[in-house]
Amino acid sequence: MKKTLQKIYLALILILLYAPILTLVVLSFNASKTRSKWGGFTGEWYVALFQNESIMNALYTTLIIAFLSALFATILGTMAAIGLQATKKKLRSVFLTIANIPMLNAEIVTGISLMLLFLAFRMTLGFTTILLAHITFNIPYVMLSVLPKLKQTDIHTYEAAQDLGASPLYAFFKVVFPDILPGVLSGFLMAFTMSLDDFIITHFTKGPGVDTLSTKIYSEVRKGIKPEMYALSTLMFVTVLFLLVLINTAPPKKLTKEERQKQRKAVRISRTIFRKVVPAMLVIVIVAGGFFYNSKQNFANGSNRVIVYNWGEYLDPEAITMFEEETGIDVVYEEYETNEIMYPKVESGAIAYDVICPSDYMIQRMIDNDLLAKINFDNIPNIKNIGQTYMEQSRQFDANNEYSVPYCWGTVGILYNKKMVKEPIESWSVLWDEDYKDSILMQDSVRDAFGVTLKYLGYSLNSTDRDELYEAQELLIEQKPLVQAYVIDQVRDKMINNEAAIGVIYSGEAIYCQQENPDLEYVIPKEGSNIWIDSWVIPKNAQHKENAEKFINFLCRPDIALMNFEFITYSTPNTAARELIEDPAIRNSRIAFPDASELEGCETFKFLGDKNDRIYNELWRQVKSK
Amino acid sequence: MNKRKLLAGPYLFWSVSFIIIPLFMVIYYGLTNDNGDFTLKNLAAMATPENLKALGLSLLLSVISTTVCLLLAYPLAMILTNMKVGKSSFIVLMFILPMWVNFLLRTLAWQNLLENNGVINTLLRFLNLPTIDIINTPYAIVLGMVYDFLPFMVLPIYNVLSKIDQNVISAARDLGANSFQTFLKIIFPLSLPGVISGITMVFVPSLTTFVISDLLGGSKVLLIGNVIDQTFTQGSDWHTGSGLSLVLTIFIVASMILVAKYDKEGKGAAF
Repeated sequence: MKKTLQKIYLALILILLYAPILTLVVLSFNASKTRSKWGGFTGEWYVALFQNESIMNALYTTLIIAFLSALFATILGTMAAIGLQATKKKLRSVFLTIANIPMLNAEIVTGISLMLLFLAFRMTLGFTTILLAHITFNIPYVMLSVLPKLKQTDIHTYEAAQDLGASPLYAFFKVVFPDILPGVLSGFLMAFTMSLDDFIITHFTKGPGVDTLSTKIYSEVRKGIKPEMYALSTLMFVTVLFLLVLINTAPPKKLTKEERQKQRKAVRISRTIFRKVVPAMLVIVIVAGGFFYNSKQNFANGSNRVIVYNWGEYLDPEAITMFEEETGIDVVYEEYETNEIMYPKVESGAIAYDVICPSDYMIQRMIDNDLLAKINFDNIPNIKNIGQTYMEQSRQFDANNEYSVPYCWGTVGILYNKKMVKEPIESWSVLWDEDYKDSILMQDSVRDAFGVTLKYLGYSLNSTDRDELYEAQELLIEQKPLVQAYVIDQVRDKMINNEAAIGVIYSGEAIYCQQENPDLEYVIPKEGSNIWIDSWVIPKNAQHKENAEKFINFLCRPDIALMNFEFITYSTPNTAARELIEDPAIRNSRIAFPDASELEGCETFKFLGDKNDRIYNELWRQVKSK
Repeated sequence: MNKRKLLAGPYLFWSVSFIIIPLFMVIYYGLTNDNGDFTLKNLAAMATPENLKALGLSLLLSVISTTVCLLLAYPLAMILTNMKVGKSSFIVLMFILPMWVNFLLRTLAWQNLLENNGVINTLLRFLNLPTIDIINTPYAIVLGMVYDFLPFMVLPIYNVLSKIDQNVISAARDLGANSFQTFLKIIFPLSLPGVISGITMVFVPSLTTFVISDLLGGSKVLLIGNVIDQTFTQGSDWHTGSGLSLVLTIFIVASMILVAKYDKEGKGAAF
C-alpha cells in the first residue's frame, strides 16, 4: 500500500515536470507555424533544423560554454569548498556570503554588474565574457552541492588515513573524495544545466554575432518561436534521455552464479562502453563540433564586414546570404527586442555597430545626443525607390533627411475577432467596454499604452501635460480589471488561438494573424493612432561606414525589399517593391497600406526627454501595480 | 590543515574580480545620478507605494512557492533515498532532465497548457469537467515557480538524505523511537543543511524572477523583478535600477542570514 502510494506520488510529480516538455515535442511535429493551432503532422522542422546554420551555431556555443564553465566552476568550487572547510567559522561565513552573491542577487543585477565590469576594462563582449560570467554564477551551485557532503564527512577517517601513513593528498583522494564525489558530480551537472538554461546573464554579457540558444529563443519570441527550436529541444531531450537509459541499464538480475560469472566479462565490457566510451565520444563530438564552428566563425572576423544591429526577426536571413555573396562583405548580425535595450548599448560605445534600425522617436533621441553619422546618399542610389511620403514623414524626427533611411512602417490598431465581437469596432472606447471583460489584450509598453489612451481622450500621444497624463492614467487603471493580459509579442498567438476577442496590435502582425485566422479584422480607430517608422541609421563610431551604406542600398533594392516584406509582413515604404507584390489583395491591403484618409488622426512618437520619460514610466508602473 | 586553506585562494581571487568589483560598480551606480553626484534618491525609489507593493507581493509568492516546493520535495527525496541505488540515481537524473529544455520554452509551454482554450481545459471540457481559469493570475505564477524551481529543492535534500547513516536510524528505533519520532529527532535535523540549501535555491530566484510573471501572469501582476527589469530595459535608467537592486540585495542577504541562523553549522563534521 505504502509502496503504491509512493509510486503514485512519484508519477504525479513526473507528470507535472514532463507535461510542458510533451507539449513541446508535440509542437515540433506541428505543421502550422504558430504554437496555438494544430496544422497536421510534419517532420519538416527536423530537416529544416539541420539546414539552419544559426541555430546549429547557437547550439554548439551553448554546449561548449556549458561544458567549459561547468568544468572550471567544478574545479574552482570544489577546491574552494574544501579550503573553506578548513578556515575559521567567522571567515568562512563571510566567504560563503560573498560566494552566494551571484545566486542571491537578481540575475539581472549580476548580468548588468558583470557587463559594467567588462565594459570598464575594455573587454570585447563575446564568447569569453559569457564564459567568465557563467563560471561566476556556476561556482555557488557547485559549492552548495559539495559543502553539505563535506559537512557529513568524518574528520577522523581522514586523520586515521594520515596516521596510517597516507600523505594528505593521498588520504584526500582515497578517503574524502569518494565521499564527496556525488556532491561534486551533481555540482557539475547542476552547473552544466544552469549554464544551459541561463538567459538573463548571457543576454547582458554577450556581444554581436555570438548567440546561445536562450538568447536566440528570446529574440524569436517577438515573432513567435520558430518550430525548428521545438525540434531541437525535442532532439536534445531525447538524446539525453537515451544516454541516461544507456548509463543506467542494469545487467539482468536473476542469474545463477555460473551464468553470472560467464556474463560478467561481457557485462563489464558493455558497461565500460555504455558508461564511459559513449559519453566520452559524445563529449568529443560536442567539443570538436564546437571548435569546428568556432573556427568557421573566426574566418568571418576579417576586416571586410558590416555589423548589423536589428530588431529580432526583422530581416529575411536569405537576404543576408545574398548580400554576402554579391558583395563579399561578411555580415555580423545581432538582434535586440526594444529600442530601450538597444540605446544604452550604442550610447556606451562598447560595441561599434555599423548599421542599426531604431524607431522614429529613438532616432530623434540619437540625433539629439550626437550618436549618429550623416549618411552619404551618393552611395545609396536606391533611395529613389522609397516613397516621397515616407521621406516627408521622416522629417518629423530627422529634419533634413540626413541620418535615416526608412525600412518599415505601420500603425497601431485594434485586432478583433468577428465571431466574438458583435458590431464592427470603430473607436478605442471598446477597450473600456465591460462586455469584453477578460477578453482584451493590451500592449505592455509605456508609450503604446499611454498613446492609445491619450488618443482616445482626444489628446496628442506626445503629450507632456501632467493633467492629460493623469487623466490617461486614471483610465488605464479603470481598464485594468477588464484586461486579460498585458502582452507585446504574444498578442499574435493569443488572437490566432481565439483566446481573446480584442487586442491592441501592430499592423504588420495583424496581416500575419489574418492569414492564420480569417475571423480576425484590423482597424485603426477613428480617434487616430500611432504611425511609426523604423529606419536604418549609421552610428558615429561605425568602423565600416561604406559597407553599411552598401548594406542599406542593398535593402532598398525593390526585389530585396519585397523579400523582406513577405518575410516580416510589416509595410514597406519601398514603392517600387510594393508594385512587385503579386497578390493584389496584399498590394492593396488596407492594413498594410492604409489610405491617407485613415491616417489623418495618426501621429508619430517623439522623444520627450529623459525627465518626461521618467514620468511616463512612473505613471505606468502605478497602473501595473494596482 | 593550513595548507588546505590555500585551496580557496583561486576562488578568492575570482570572487573579488567577478563578484566584489562588479557589485561595487552597482553600488556606485545606485548611489549616483546622471551627473555622477552622490544621491540617495535611487535607494528611496523602493519606498514608493507601488514598489513596496511589488516587493510585498514578490515576497508572498516566493514564500508560498518555496513552501510548496519544500512540501512536495521532502517526501519525494525520502522516497528516492529509500529506492535501490541504481534506480534512484536514474530517477534523480529524471528531475534534472527537464532543465535541458530551455526554460523560456518550457514556461511558454505552460501557457499552452493553461490557456482558456489550452490543452488542459480542452481535455476537461471533453470530459465534461469544470475548467480551470488560472492563467494570468498569481496562481499560474506560483505554479510556474514551483515547476521551474522544484528540482533545486529536491536535489540538495536528496543529497543530504542519501548520506545519512542507516545505523543512526536503526539505533533510534532500537532505543524505542517510533517512525515519527525518528523522523523528527533524527532524520529531519540531519537533513537541515540540504533543506536550507534548497530553500535558498528556490526562494531567491522566485523572489527576483520577471520572466515567469510576464509569461504566465499576463504582465498583470507586477513583481519586484519586473520593476527592476523595466527600469533597466524600458526606462534605460541604470541609476534607479541599480539603486532598487541594491535594496533588494540587502533585503535578500538579511533574510538569508535569518535562515542561516537555523542552520546549526559545523557540529565538528569538517572532513
